[in-house]
Formats: sequence, C-alpha cells, structure tokens
Amino acid sequence: MANLHGYAGRILYVDLGAETAHEEPIDGELAEAFLGGSGLAAALIARTRLSEIDPLGPENPLVLMTGPLVGTEMPSAGRLSLCALSPLTGIWGESNTGGFLGPELRFSGYDGIVVTGRASEPVWLSIVDGNVELRDAESLMGLDTYETQEAIRQELGDDKTRVGCIGRAGEHLVRYAAVMNDHGRAAGRTGMGTVMGAKHLKAIAVRGRETVPIADLQGFARITAAVREHSREEIATQAIRMAGTAGYVDMATMYGDLPFRHFRTGEWDGADRLSGVRMTEEYLLRGRACHRCPIACGRETRAPVYGLDRVDGPEYETLGALGSLLAIDDLEAVIAAGHLCNRHGLDTISTGVTIALACELAERGILNRATADGLTLRFGDAVLLHGLIEKIAVREGIGDLLADGSAALADHFGVPELAATVKRLEMPMHDPRAFGGMAVTYALSPRGACHMQGDMYSVDTGQVALEELGIAPGDRFDASEGKGRIAARQMAWRSLYNAMILCQFQNPPAERIAEALGAATGWDLAPADLMTIGHRILTLKRTINAHRGVDASSDALPPTFLSPLEAGGTLGNVPDVDRLLAGAYGELGWNPRTGQPENPTLARLGLGRAAEPE
Amino acid sequence: MSFRFPSNEWIVELSRLLNESPSYESSAKDWEGDFVFVVEPDDGFAETAYLYLGLRHGKSTGGALLAAPDERPTEYRISAPFGVWRKVIEGELDPIQGMMMRKLKLDGNLMKIMRYPKAAKEIVSCCADVPTMWPGN
Ligand code: SF4
Repeated sequence: MANLHGYAGRILYVDLGAETAHEEPIDGELAEAFLGGSGLAAALIARTRLSEIDPLGPENPLVLMTGPLVGTEMPSAGRLSLCALSPLTGIWGESNTGGFLGPELRFSGYDGIVVTGRASEPVWLSIVDGNVELRDAESLMGLDTYETQEAIRQELGDDKTRVGCIGRAGEHLVRYAAVMNDHGRAAGRTGMGTVMGAKHLKAIAVRGRETVPIADLQGFARITAAVREHSREEIATQAIRMAGTAGYVDMATMYGDLPFRHFRTGEWDGADRLSGVRMTEEYLLRGRACHRCPIACGRETRAPVYGLDRVDGPEYETLGALGSLLAIDDLEAVIAAGHLCNRHGLDTISTGVTIALACELAERGILNRATADGLTLRFGDAVLLHGLIEKIAVREGIGDLLADGSAALADHFGVPELAATVKRLEMPMHDPRAFGGMAVTYALSPRGACHMQGDMYSVDTGQVALEELGIAPGDRFDASEGKGRIAARQMAWRSLYNAMILCQFQNPPAERIAEALGAATGWDLAPADLMTIGHRILTLKRTINAHRGVDASSDALPPTFLSPLEAGGTLGNVPDVDRLLAGAYGELGWNPRTGQPENPTLARLGLGRAAEPE
Repeated sequence: MSFRFPSNEWIVELSRLLNESPSYESSAKDWEGDFVFVVEPDDGFAETAYLYLGLRHGKSTGGALLAAPDERPTEYRISAPFGVWRKVIEGELDPIQGMMMRKLKLDGNLMKIMRYPKAAKEIVSCCADVPTMWPGN
C-alpha cells in the first residue's frame, strides 16, 4: 500500500486446503489501531466465528505477524508473533520468537501471513522474493527442527533462508508444540507448533531483499542510536548480555521467584548449581543475538557428558522448568534436556511443568508404575526426564498422557486442583508469591499463565520503571488495589510491546519508543497513546476469550499459589488476589463481576466493531 | 549510642555487625572483594565521603572513612547521592532496585557480584541495624 510507512504493506493469505495464496493490502486504520504482532493478529482473528473454531481444525487461522519496528534499525525488534486459538488451552494463543525470521518476512515484502485450511499431505511453504509456493514435505517428516531447517536451506540452495518449523512434537500434535527457527529460537507457548502440525504444515521458509519504508529515516537513525546507547548503560541489559537470562537464577532464588519441586518447596540446595553465572563460566561458548540486538541474550553452550559440543540455550525459563522444578541440579543434564525439547519442538515450560506434576502424582500414589510404562516417576532424575521428553514428542506410552499438558493430566486423575495452570496454560518460572503483581498477570493474561503479558518482577526489581505512565517499582509483596492497577498498566504496556514487536529486554524510556514508532510510521504518538493502544489490544483479546467461555471465574490462580511456602525468599507471602484484581479490573474498565470489558471501555478504545466477529 | 552517617564510626560499626551475622557469613562464604561506598553531595549533605568496607570469605576485614576513593585498592565502587544512601539504609529503597534504576551506580565486575545477591541483601539489613544519626538531626 502506498504511503503506509513502517509497513511492507501486504499480508499473504494462504489456504492450505485449496492450495491457493493471495495477498491483500494491509488496512491502514487497523494498523494504526493495533500496530502489528499479536495486536494486529488479534484484530484479524476477532473477525472469525470464534466460538465455532476447533483449534485443531482447518478453520483455525494461524497468523504470523510482524510489526512496524521489525526488521528496522530499532534494536531488539527482530521478532515474529504466531497467533491462533490454542490447542492446549482452547482460548487465545500467541507466542513470539526472535532470531531473523520476522525481519526476513518483511524483507520478502509481507508484514504477515494468514494460514487457513489443512493440506491433504504434509507441505512446507516457501516465500522467496515474492514467489509463494507450497512444496511437498513428505521427506521432511520425522526430521527434528534442526534437520528440517538445514534440509530446507539445502533444497533452496540459500543458507540465508530463514525457516520456522515444527519437529516431531508438532507432527504428533503434542498440545504444547513449539515453532522453532534460527536454530534454537522458539515460539514456544500455547501450541502454535501444534496448529502447524494439525494443518500438515511442516515449515515456512522465507527469503527476501526488500527494505522497510521508514517515514523519517534521519530521525529514526537518531532515535535508534539513542536506544542503543541507553541499552548499553542499563545494568539489567549488561547482566543479560553477560550471563543470558540465566543470570537471573541467583537473584530469583533470593526472591523466591525461581520455583522448586513443582512449586511446592521454598528452599532447595541445588539452585546454586543451576546458576547462570556458573553456566557462563563453565559451559558457555558464546552469546547470540537476534536481528539488530545489542543485548545478545541467546546462549550457545555445550554439555560434554552428553556428547553435545554446541547447543542453544538454556535460558532462565528452561533452567527452571527442566531443572529446579524437577529438583535436577545437574547443569549439563538440563542443557541436554533443553536441547532435546528444541530438537523435538517442545515448549520447555509446559514440558517441565507437566513432568513435574506427573512426579508429584507419583509421589502421592495417584500415578502408578503400570501407567508410567514401568518407570518410577520421581524428582531429581535426569535420565527419567530425558526419557519422558522423548516419549512426549512422539506420544509414546505415558508420553501420550503427558502430551496433553498439566491440566489434562490432572483432569485425567480427577485432581484438577493439582495442576499448576491458569486457563490450562502451565505456570512459568516466576512465583506470584515472590512478586504479588504477577498474580494479576497470571489471572488476566489473555493466554493464561504467562509472564510475557505483564512482567511485574521486572517492575519490582527496578528493571522496568515508567513512572510517567504510572508503572513505578515498589514493594514486591504489596497486594493493594493500587498494585493491581500498576500490574494492569504493565499488562497494557507489554501488549503494546507484543504488537510493535519489541523484545521485553529492551526498555528505553516510553518517550523514545513513541518517537521511534512515530519516525517509522509518520504517526504523531505520545507515550499515553501507546498505553491506549496496549489497553485496546489487551481488551480485544479479552473479548476474543469471552467468545471462548472466559469470564471472571476463569481469572483464578491454582490453589498451590494460595498457600504459603514455609521457607525461602517468598517469606511466607501469599498474594491477596481479590484485592489486586479489584484494582486491575478497575484500571482496565472491565466488569469485576463478569470479567468482561464494560461498554464505555469498548467505546473509548474504539472496539465496538473490532470486538464483534463477522 | 548512635553513629553519624557518613563517618568512620558508622562504617566500623557496620563492619562489626557483619562479623556477628551468621546469615551474612553463610551467604558470602566464598566472597572476596572490597568495596568503597561513595556518598555524593546533595541537599542533605554537602560533601563527598568515601566509606571503605573490606569483605572476605563471609567476614568483614574492617571499615574506614577514606580521604580519597583510591586510598585503598578496592574491587567495587558504589556511588549515590546522600539521600539515596539514606533511603537504602532506612530500608525504603531496595539496593538492587536502586541499581537497576540507576539511582546507585556500580563500578566493578558485575558478573561476580551477580552470584551474591543474598550477601548484598544481608549487608543492607546490617546497615539498617546500625543506629544511625543523620546530618542535621
Ligand atoms: S534480548 Fe535476546 S531475545 Fe531479546 S532481541 Fe536480544 S537476543 Fe533476542
């Protein structure tokens, strides 16, 4: 589309069933209201018959969307969102990945791709310099994600091709299958790889040579240089650059944020051995960056005991989910487990939490050896962990039960209260007893228990401070309505991030972000406008979820997180969820009784039409 | 008895309290690295002060008010205006939050210190235990 700066201007629509593709110009008004990423994807998905969609059915649209900053000189904006209704949770699903796949999509001339239908045979989608083609994927079936990426690059004869693909987990419809790209980069959460598997879409490969039109090139260069400079001076980004997100392990242990033994105990000696600093000193080969990212949080490590010379990760979440949560303190074993998940295309968080629940069920005598293929399920057993990951990926034996996730596993044994999930998504490695504001994020996040929809631990450790937008660091145990309001604002802010798309480790002042977006698109934006956009997106996702049966009763934490831990850094704290949520609903203009956005809120955010499915 | 902040007596008292703290000792048992805390002038305090704190293997090797920051070699330097130090000592500002928000500036090996957040917390809690008299009070 002419004159739409900050956008390639086109969205590619692919119908796998009909084997057709066409492109449509991006709707400028929609772009201005929802920017891109999971915001714009939500606006597109909201138009479908939401209540009738089977997440594993051909009708579930899979939307891959970039944003106005992706592929530009903006530091840490090389991301891509994948959105659809989630086969794990049944509600809104989204996940975003780094690397270079998002930028490459923009260089190929598209802001996004909408995939519908189901191929009769396995296919992969090739988008090279504007040529769109569906190719036979029969020979790729059964390959892991690394092999798949490499095979496609070879077939295209271009090692600069970027490939997003599924592994065996996606092929076997494990409900938390990831989409992997650029070796070990993952769109891990909510089963976007499962959606690809259900569509018989093994991979999407992209290569292009176009540039993104920027409204004010000089201004944009000046602003992005300032963002880079700010990032260099930030102590938080310096720490991440040195030790990756894994560098947070020691601090998280002190705060009680890192969970142990399926969130059941507050202290565990092994945490020290999972330290990211230790990992850096003993196992790190080098840091790796996504497109134009000065932080380079990605890790390339080794695990010689397992014969692994060079693997990707692990990051903090993986160290927690496959390490401390299972009481496994052997760092090499955790590195190897993370690599197995990457190869098979499994979300490490859902994998670890589900296995941890299985161990707890076995400990309680609920899951016996016969059901577990003769295995003794127990905490602290790395060999067991590796074996279970292999079984989950191909749904073999007990793996079939675990492949449906924690909530399904707990339901199966009639103990739903034991699942560490919100809206059927497994809890990440940030305990809401350590940072009370996280209770709001988990309860209200559109995709269920998710730390990327409002990272209050970043706010209350001072890593994010946007006082001008009412997001000020404070007491981590504060459970007032005021804290609930701050958490709601942080959710709106991160909804904006997930739309631009900007990595959440890049935290310049809000003013800089408004300037960067303004220079890229030519729109006149102030920080308060950005908050409105974020609020609009968050509210739209809520209305999508309302069509999927979400209401205030779904906004609850599992009982585990409402009982205090006797020892450790949470100091016995339990968040007052009701009070926090009262503040958050008020801030967002959502009805506290129904949980749905009030009509004046919808009107103020201009959501009257967008919130109605066609 | 109260100790004026910043002063030689204050930092010596902090050093003494650290040596009585089992939780500091266990959280810093492998730590080696001395600090100088730079108290920068602001509305509440007109001068610059340098407080030296020696730390080794879970114990404090001593504290002293220095005439200049490089009077003794130290591995770490943390600088902040007087008012920020006061907030930290009075427990109003978490020092990690303060560093992240650039209210306190850290110079030194970041990676090494990242391994000891609990020790940092114990030092701050000992600071709060020093009976402190503030300038002007
Ligand atoms: S901080 Fe890490 S995840 Fe974020 S853009 Fe940079 S390298 Fe990618």
